[in-house]
Amino acid sequence: MVRTKGYPAALDQKLQDTRLHNDDSNPEFTKNVKAISRTTAHMCYQCGTCTGSCPSAPRSTYRIRKFMRRAVLGLENEALTDPDLWLCTTCYSCSDRCPRDIIPTDVIMAMRNLAFKRDIIPVNFLKTVQSIYKTGHGVPNNDVNRAAREKIGLSRDPPTTHMYPEYIPGIQKILDHYNLKANSDRIVKEREG
Amino acid sequence: MSESKFKFAFYLGCIAPNRYPGVESASIKAMKKLGVELVPLKGASCCPAPGAFGSIDLNVFYAMAARNLVLAEQMKMDIALVCNGCYKSIWEVNHKLKHNKDLRDNVNEVLKEVDMEYKGTINVYHTAELLYNDKFIGVDKVRDSVTNPLTGARIAVHYGCHLTKPHKDREFEKEVMLNTEHPVWMEELVAALGATPVEYRNKMQCCGAGGGVRGYDIVHALDIANEKLINITEQKVDALTDICPFCQLQFDRGQIEIQEKFGVSYNLPVLHYAELLGLAQGMSPQDLGLDLHGISCESFLQKVL
Repeated sequence: MVRTKGYPAALDQKLQDTRLHNDDSNPEFTKNVKAISRTTAHMCYQCGTCTGSCPSAPRSTYRIRKFMRRAVLGLENEALTDPDLWLCTTCYSCSDRCPRDIIPTDVIMAMRNLAFKRDIIPVNFLKTVQSIYKTGHGVPNNDVNRAAREKIGLSRDPPTTHMYPEYIPGIQKILDHYNLKANSDRIVKEREG
Repeated sequence: MSESKFKFAFYLGCIAPNRYPGVESASIKAMKKLGVELVPLKGASCCPAPGAFGSIDLNVFYAMAARNLVLAEQMKMDIALVCNGCYKSIWEVNHKLKHNKDLRDNVNEVLKEVDMEYKGTINVYHTAELLYNDKFIGVDKVRDSVTNPLTGARIAVHYGCHLTKPHKDREFEKEVMLNTEHPVWMEELVAALGATPVEYRNKMQCCGAGGGVRGYDIVHALDIANEKLINITEQKVDALTDICPFCQLQFDRGQIEIQEKFGVSYNLPVLHYAELLGLAQGMSPQDLGLDLHGISCESFLQKVL
């Protein structure tokens, strides 16, 4: 995106703040990340405490500091299409140690929300949605566990949606309000046929 | 039997009731002995999984967690739960909705469709917090309830992430619980059972399962767990204890997957603190369904029974 303040072209070029903008910047992305994450990514001064605290960093190319910079610069495409976006375990170690009191983990979550709007999402996330839509549980009961529960004096199914399936339509209504089941089914089908 | 001093709506989550039911039954029985009655929260669902739902759409995450909160509000009871992941969803959404009118209004607009309204009238606690905080139970009472001390057992603690982190957003009455660099309050609870808590390198590291990573890239997730297992087994411990069934799944079933994928085995028994407490109060391994664990607890049981 070209910004101009009406200076001569050469001076305008000189004044371009490449630390805050480059041609791929989308200022809307910065605003959206801030609105969803409810934290202040723009306060980041790139010290790297976050990456130094990250359990995913030593075993991958995932660098949380890089995503923080992308949030500030508005580098939407670069951030949302990077597969490393999905390697954050959400341990919040970076957030506990950030000297600027930012919550980088929530910046990642906001970026994932924005990626999902473009259908960028690993299918395992969607399968959790499908499971909850069907049973109310992300990890549902099974027969081995039912037998074990009975043996230790518990009801075969826990007193959750498993024992009271009449609560499931309410859950489905909430998920349908956001069209989440339909979108999940569509994306899973596109990926897996 | 005397009337319980405290009553809580018992929010179960998914992995405790559906994979490690001993955590559910031990929590109910052990807490009862300590004056806390856990009442079933009928019709509760998945919290929902903070990694999956939080990543997809935080608005759905807030609404789904709010539904579980409303069920407890209708019972006029505070929630007690046994999982750090559930704590992140249930406690944190409760906290966010109480303090942000815009979020609360959005959630209530959706809940109206299912004839519910979030009012913000209850609090949410992890059972570990109830055990540690003497306002409810406290370490001394836990110690007094032990009939079968776990003497001689060396036990490492995995705190997990989402109970205490990010600490700047948490509001524990016991300030030591806000120390996320080197907490020792769980070690106090382990010592109260007669066991020896054991420190190890990088104790506060994540188990690697959260944020959807276990489903997205299992080898990456297991490599994080493996690093912790190396650090823990270095200290020659008899068991690892946790307060999060998802972390427990990652370390317990994960050891089998680590064996398959990396060719290393540790055979380290992994028990939720509720299971340890149950054992120490005289419940049998059968009562706790310990045979459901991926890694046999036999070596540990021989030491303490």
